Amino acid sequence: MIDRSYKKLLKLNRFPHTWCPGCGIGAVLKNVAIGLKELGWNEQNTTVVSGIGCSGRMAGYMNLDAVHTPHGRALTAAEAIKTVRPDLNVIVLSGDGDLGSIGGNHLLHTFRRNPDITVFCNDNEIYGLTGGQAGPTTPEGTKTITSPRGEHHQPLRLNRILTAKSPCFYARTTVYHVNHFKTCIREALLYKGFSFVDIISDCIELNGRRLGFKTAHQMFKWFDERFHIVEGVRDHLENDELGIVKKEAEVEVKAEAKTEVEGKLEVLIEGLKLLTLEELKHFDGTNGKPIYIGYKGNVYDISASPLFQGEKRMRCHIAGKDLTRDIETAPHGEDLVYHFPMVGRLKVKAEAEK
Amino acid sequence: MYMKPRLNVIWNEIYCKRCIICVEVCPVQALAFERDEIVERPGCIRCYQCERYCPDIAIEVMDEEKR
Ligand SMILES: Cc1ncc(C[n+]2csc(CCOP(=O)(O)OP(=O)(O)O)c2C)c(N)n1
Ligand code: SF4
Repeated sequence: MIDRSYKKLLKLNRFPHTWCPGCGIGAVLKNVAIGLKELGWNEQNTTVVSGIGCSGRMAGYMNLDAVHTPHGRALTAAEAIKTVRPDLNVIVLSGDGDLGSIGGNHLLHTFRRNPDITVFCNDNEIYGLTGGQAGPTTPEGTKTITSPRGEHHQPLRLNRILTAKSPCFYARTTVYHVNHFKTCIREALLYKGFSFVDIISDCIELNGRRLGFKTAHQMFKWFDERFHIVEGVRDHLENDELGIVKKEAEVEVKAEAKTEVEGKLEVLIEGLKLLTLEELKHFDGTNGKPIYIGYKGNVYDISASPLFQGEKRMRCHIAGKDLTRDIETAPHGEDLVYHFPMVGRLKVKAEAEK
Repeated sequence: MYMKPRLNVIWNEIYCKRCIICVEVCPVQALAFERDEIVERPGCIRCYQCERYCPDIAIEVMDEEKR
């Protein structure tokens, strides 16, 4: 039996909704509602903001407090709401034209300021409501009402722009890959910071028909040919890939500080302590103790790391542990560890020999 | 709200916009579009595919207990 409680989040009395038969926006609305319901987000703690366009109508069908902003200004309104009421979950439902061209300036700067809002962009590669003109994401060579001989210009690569700095969260999915779509929605809602889900969707009436598709499902098949899913969390997405890009905040180590630490390293080598894994556990940063981690048989003092700031763990890395394997599988290299002073050696090998 | 009961799926005539995504996603061709109506033929394997893809929440696969 499947859970249909998501319907409580939709204004069913306004149904059937205004979109054309087979339009992907309905699927976006439904899946976002399912995602919100799964996380228990409801009218008490969630606000939805949308812009103008066919996709901008989505907020009106949500049984939540909704703001319908002027064209392109969805992100500004959302950021303002989040600033004034940090306890609210703010989501933005809008179109690619609204977010990428008319609101392009706001997209860049909201991304830069990284507020904790989640954006679901219905990317139908066209301006839908106004009649099917070429928009910012229309692929080069596509015939539209304003480009009858094929669009000359290259599209805006949101996958490049919105992954250019870290931290960032960018996911691309389609309305056809439903399971992937649901995972992306969930991950994006849970992410703390600016998260953007680029949902490739179909505008069958004003784009699909001109491209020669008879039904929405034929367009779905076309999405399946054009894109393929890549597994796991990536640090960038190619133009034909669907997946999730998530980058953590970069640790900025100034050039001067680096040389200082390197100098320190040499001095410390004489006074190295021998620590067993048991002893290492005590140095986890609690009660003002320093934070030590083990790496390749050495012990490093990482108290100065901005990421561990009085915390026992930094995402997947736990203080007071041998992190050799973790760091090998981590997206960053081992050089991050070498920035910190070495304070001792691990006694693991010696024990094993005994 | 008027819903037409079928063998396995409930089709909501009012919400449906006849985009026939459900007919096309059905892996066993148990749904068909005839005379402006979605009709169900025998052979439904209850995969919920039509319900998952319907953008208008117009089609639902009945729960096992209610049948
Ligand atoms: C300031 C302003 N400029 C132009 C418009 C006209 N306009 C209305 S909707 C739209 C395009 C919306 O496209 P998109 O965000 O892709 O949504 P879609 O309709 O494709 O879902 C435009 C240009 C407007 N309403 N306001
Ligand atoms: S014009 Fe396109 S985007 Fe707008 S409702 Fe119709 S199919 Fe959907």
